[in-house]
Amino acid sequence: MIKFESVNKKYHSGETALEDISVTIENGDFVFVVGTSGAGKSTLLKLITREILPTSGHIYFNDQDILKIPRSKVPILRRRIGTVFQDFKLLLTKTVFENVAVPLEVLSQKESTIEREVSTVLEKVGLLEKANSFPLQLSGGEIQRTAIARAIVSKPEILLADEPTGDLDPKNSLDIVRLLEKINQDDKTIVIMATHNAQVVNHFKKRVIVLDKGKIVKDEKEGKYETS
Amino acid sequence: MRQAKQAIKIIRRSPYQALAATLAMSLTFFITSIFVILIIGGQIVLNYIEQRPQVIAFFKDDAKESQINEVMEKVKSTNLIKDVKYVSKEEALAIYRERNKDEPLLLESVTADFLPASIDISVKKAQDINEVTKLIKENPLVERVITPENLVEQLVKWTKTIRTGGIVFVSTLLAVSFLIIIMVIGMRIALRRDEISIMSLVGATKWYISKPFFIEGAFYGVVGASIAVFLTYVLILFYSPNIQQFLGPIQVFPIDPLFFIYLWLGEMLCAVSIGIVGASIALYRYLKIK
Repeated sequence: MIKFESVNKKYHSGETALEDISVTIENGDFVFVVGTSGAGKSTLLKLITREILPTSGHIYFNDQDILKIPRSKVPILRRRIGTVFQDFKLLLTKTVFENVAVPLEVLSQKESTIEREVSTVLEKVGLLEKANSFPLQLSGGEIQRTAIARAIVSKPEILLADEPTGDLDPKNSLDIVRLLEKINQDDKTIVIMATHNAQVVNHFKKRVIVLDKGKIVKDEKEGKYETS
Repeated sequence: MRQAKQAIKIIRRSPYQALAATLAMSLTFFITSIFVILIIGGQIVLNYIEQRPQVIAFFKDDAKESQINEVMEKVKSTNLIKDVKYVSKEEALAIYRERNKDEPLLLESVTADFLPASIDISVKKAQDINEVTKLIKENPLVERVITPENLVEQLVKWTKTIRTGGIVFVSTLLAVSFLIIIMVIGMRIALRRDEISIMSLVGATKWYISKPFFIEGAFYGVVGASIAVFLTYVLILFYSPNIQQFLGPIQVFPIDPLFFIYLWLGEMLCAVSIGIVGASIALYRYLKIK
């Protein structure tokens, strides 16, 4: 469970990114966080991984206030969270297999375990035959699936996806979200997906939290995202 | 093990930077080795000369043994003296005969009366020779004083100069090596910024991220010190017969192989410390983890 309690985030530039955010996301939830660019979607996700700290308020992960976690223990928190980044953050000098293996290497897993787990997850995202390809040899959809594979390979409790369909065509976008939905259903992983793709959001009929200028303006089960 | 492989991978990716760091370390510790050997060798030469009688005082013919004994006691009372030995006229003749045994002409008609009695003095510290010489010269019974003061003084001066120069030169080289390590590892961190950021975001600890850089720093230390000691060993092996011939009876060579093992271990410890501290500074300065 993720719980935001009166969270505010103001950047040093003076820009208010989030204002009085109070929201709870239960285990097994699939949530779309939607809004226009600059609405505060990425900030919300970065607060969960403690990439940034809020100006005020509390953020709980299974009743643990993540803001009280000492700096040295933050890596342990991050191992429980998988993230699909907006800019993918794949290493261009590593193959698909090596990119996906990074979280397991960080956990000092055995080579044989890494081999097995990475192969399993690559099969799940349909990229097993591309294991030895480099990111520059992949299509947009394959890059995104590689990023998803890396995010889920260590079996996180939460999967954060920041604009994962940003550069994809409608078919690939739907495929990616279907994959996230499958991960959510199979592993009971909380999925929080930030997007401004109304077509995708409206297709899946999941919980939708709408942000506007840093504030939650709508939070609906099986919601819709209406763009003006 | 994985981090060691990672470190090797990093080194192989930019071999010229690695070469620069290794060469800087090798040069620094090669020069250090040479200075260490020069300082120890200089000390051996100095010790040898200090053990020889450094002041020989010859007495007038009318000086009696009891009066010479008084002079000896006075000299001993200064506490600057390691040893004083009385050489009578007869003993002087025996020495003279031994030294010239191959030249009978020089031995003819030389009796003990021709040679003066003397005392051979060894001082505790070479720099006290002047004071002891001055004290003896004040005695009216002393006819002449021979001292290799210039040689010893020169030697002490040279040893000090080599030591001081060595410390300054080696310190400068150490500082250069240190800065090169910081620079090379700093560049590595900058080149791997994306990878570091990703590792941090997927849960890598700072120690996990830093370890390959520490291994890299230590690697430069181990390789640099090993090359330096190997080169020194080869150099000494090659030139030691000539140097030993020049030094004559002063036994400096051959150097015990154990010395090179100690030198290697000592330099490696020092070089690895430089590598690790250099890496730490580079990491502190350039590694920014959110």
